[in-house]
Amino acid sequence: MALPNSLRTSTTPPELELIATQQLIEIIPLVSMEKTVFISGAYGPLRPPNKAQVPLWIAVNLKMKRKCHIVPPSWFTVDYLQDRLSLETSNPAFSELPFRYMEISKILLDVASDDLEQPDKLRSLLKDLREARQAKSREGLKQLDHSELSVYSPPLPVIVSTTDALVQLPNLSAMEINEIRPYFVESMSILSKLALPPQPGV
Amino acid sequence: MYNDYFSVDSILAENQKIQCTFKHKIPDMGHLGGGSDRDIAELQKVQLPVWLAYTVLYSQWAEFNIPMPFNQKVRNALQADACSVRLSNLVGAGGTWYGFGKTIMDIMDDEKAAGLSQTLSSAFRLRVLEIIDQAHHFATLGSASGSGHKTHDVAQVFREGLDVTEREVFALAQESARKTKRWNENH
Repeated sequence: MALPNSLRTSTTPPELELIATQQLIEIIPLVSMEKTVFISGAYGPLRPPNKAQVPLWIAVNLKMKRKCHIVPPSWFTVDYLQDRLSLETSNPAFSELPFRYMEISKILLDVASDDLEQPDKLRSLLKDLREARQAKSREGLKQLDHSELSVYSPPLPVIVSTTDALVQLPNLSAMEINEIRPYFVESMSILSKLALPPQPGV
Repeated sequence: MYNDYFSVDSILAENQKIQCTFKHKIPDMGHLGGGSDRDIAELQKVQLPVWLAYTVLYSQWAEFNIPMPFNQKVRNALQADACSVRLSNLVGAGGTWYGFGKTIMDIMDDEKAAGLSQTLSSAFRLRVLEIIDQAHHFATLGSASGSGHKTHDVAQVFREGLDVTEREVFALAQESARKTKRWNENH
């Protein structure tokens, strides 16, 4: 393959950020603009006091030129994240967050921190959330089994009790999946090699 | 990885030697395994590389003993504390303990193979957590401070004892953690 080694295992975080900028977000424009057609669709028109929905990359671009205010998404508030954090720390499963919350929150904090309430508090909440979730994916690694993605069912030596944090991938976000993907995949492939091949006829 | 014809890992894994005990006298074959005698005597023990041993074993000319890296002593040590066993020492530099185990598993009878498979997987499962933890730890250190103080602690001993397969997992985890960290911190 012509792709360099570092790009083969997984997408890179900047690539994921780029994908996340396709998502729509609300802005309060400060300039007016007619409806404009882009490859991904038509956006606008922008009429200053009214809110408008545009992709995040347009919002970032306008924001950098001080031509709009970005309205933070409903999940990106101190109250909501506090709530998620308490769920996260009390519950073994991953709590529900937008799939690309890490990318979007980072972009907003970088570009539009003056449009956010208490950006520092948000930042530290996100950090706490991330750490709590990382601890869980580490727990998940303990339960890692080659069988999860394989078609046959081998005898399971792992004791699985209901209180254990199983590898519960639902609600894992894009960036988190991306981070654990290379070594989860490699570990599972090693485990599947170490497992006995299925007996023919069983 | 291990059964692939073109895989370097599998070639390395098959290069490990196992001890075979010949059941019959085989004339003119003393050169197998670098011996100087002309014939192989009955019950003679010869160290053969795995790739050569396949034929000899399948033709019922010899039996093999469980190689040292997988004997009861090692298994007991793994059971006691998987992270304190230095796998790299068992198979020599560049050797893959898991790969070797896998090739041995393939030539064993089913019952023994099941036991070995169990040993290998549980060793990996117990060790991988520590591998990832350390990989993350080293990803968060700056490249400059990578080889600093702490020289002879448990973590380093563990790191030195990683076999080639585990080193790859370590490198993958470290790289991905480093990338994510870099992304998190720029701007």
